[in-house]
Amino acid sequence: MIKNFIISGSGGQGVLSIGTILANIFMLSNKFVTYSPCYGAEMRGGAVNCEINASDEQLLYIQNKEADIVIALNQTSFDKFISKVKKNGTIIVNSSLAKINKTRNDIKYIFAPLTQEALKMNNVKIANSIALGILSKITYKFSIENVKKAYEKILKNKNDLIQKNIEAYLIGYNYVQER
Amino acid sequence: MNKKELLKGNIAIAKAALNCGCKCYFGYPITPQTEIGEFLSKEMQQRKLAYVCAESEVAAINMALGAASTGAKVMTSSSSCAVSLMQEAISYASSDELPIVLINVMRAGPGQGYIYPSQGDYNQATTGGGNGDYRTIVLSPSNVQECVDLTYKAFYLSQKYRNPTILLVDGLLGQMAEPVEINDNPYQEIDNSSWRLDGANERPSRNIHSLEPNQNKLNRHIIELFKKYTIIEQNECDYEEYMTQDAKVILTAFGTMARHAKALCNYYREKGIKMGLFRPKTLYPFPYKKLNELSQKTNLIIDIEMNMGQMLKDVRLAVLSNARVAFIGKPVGDWLTEEEMIKAADNILKEQYASI
Repeated sequence: MIKNFIISGSGGQGVLSIGTILANIFMLSNKFVTYSPCYGAEMRGGAVNCEINASDEQLLYIQNKEADIVIALNQTSFDKFISKVKKNGTIIVNSSLAKINKTRNDIKYIFAPLTQEALKMNNVKIANSIALGILSKITYKFSIENVKKAYEKILKNKNDLIQKNIEAYLIGYNYVQER
Repeated sequence: MNKKELLKGNIAIAKAALNCGCKCYFGYPITPQTEIGEFLSKEMQQRKLAYVCAESEVAAINMALGAASTGAKVMTSSSSCAVSLMQEAISYASSDELPIVLINVMRAGPGQGYIYPSQGDYNQATTGGGNGDYRTIVLSPSNVQECVDLTYKAFYLSQKYRNPTILLVDGLLGQMAEPVEINDNPYQEIDNSSWRLDGANERPSRNIHSLEPNQNKLNRHIIELFKKYTIIEQNECDYEEYMTQDAKVILTAFGTMARHAKALCNYYREKGIKMGLFRPKTLYPFPYKKLNELSQKTNLIIDIEMNMGQMLKDVRLAVLSNARVAFIGKPVGDWLTEEEMIKAADNILKEQYASI
């Protein structure tokens, strides 16, 4: 079964970081995966998104019009990508930076105050990992070993940061259950 | 343990180049291939290899010519409109018989165009944009793993035949990451001690040049070149077949487009139409013979490209009058989607079966 994901936000929010981490998790889980980043000229503040396709079989279509799951980390990306969610798909929205507003009734919404949750952990940069945790819970429920390995691949020897991100990931993972 | 790593096509090409002993890189940044130079700028410095960010593409490829004449493995990379600037030097390198590897990560043209996806450089790569009678070997990967494998092959073939070799990569593939395994270079080293310019010392002096005022000599030189091209055409055709065994309809596509074409085969197979795919991995030499054989068993060939029909000409030359050749294409922009291709293919199939 092919699953398509779009992760979107602004430069500096770690969109491409969790994109590569998600793609690495799929690779470590022995799935076929493609990862395509898309960004403007700005390093910080500009619009950034990435597209990930994962499948048990070889991936043939590598550019898709719609996604099963969309993560929107701010208002602009929420507005832009709401139309890209497949029917019966899900959008995960950072409600700290985007207004709760349900314009479509053929999709599922998960609003989570990601930035506020991250600030509670004294690191605004890990809001992205919370979103990844939510995504994991509502899709494949990845093995925590593979998640750890993926973070280690990307963050190399920054052990504190890896630890912090895994904590954030787990907060996200448990967030959906608590509601 | 999984030896795979998640790499962008551009980085995969750069890593493969280093792995098979690329000693010199000369380039000038241009989207969508800049990561090749960016990655090599760090790595080659660490390994004490030659990396030059040249002042222009013209300079970059001429530096590559100079370095190649000394026998070093050299590479340059660029994209469409800037590869146009390099055509003069490619013509020279062909006449000089210099083994340079050129990576062209395509963007949209003609002219300046833009960074949108397109496969518009098929003609330029396979038939050449420079002056005179010459051919360049052209390889076409369709996934990131092949970016690695065909980079190895590009270096090998360029050395083996002393001929410029182009790796023609879709912009999408340069930018997209997939799990790949950077295996060892499977090809043997080619001895170039018989021609390289490494200082005469005791031996007779050598020179490499394309200027030839004696018309008989120039004639002989070009005839020799074409003997070489004939050997390349006989020995190096490479292709992939997908469900062609019993196919009544055969798709032809190259690069990333071939992946979408495979999906199209799967779609029509489910509907009971026996469809298969023929994908040339070498665009020059084009596998005419194999496609001709396949076309004798079918009535319909559909060529799919992200351009207005460039490989189409070679497909027609291979198929001759064996089957009808139809075309689905789009010049630039977002890759043809499943729906668009099915709509176009449905129409072609309807025409075909109405006429039978």
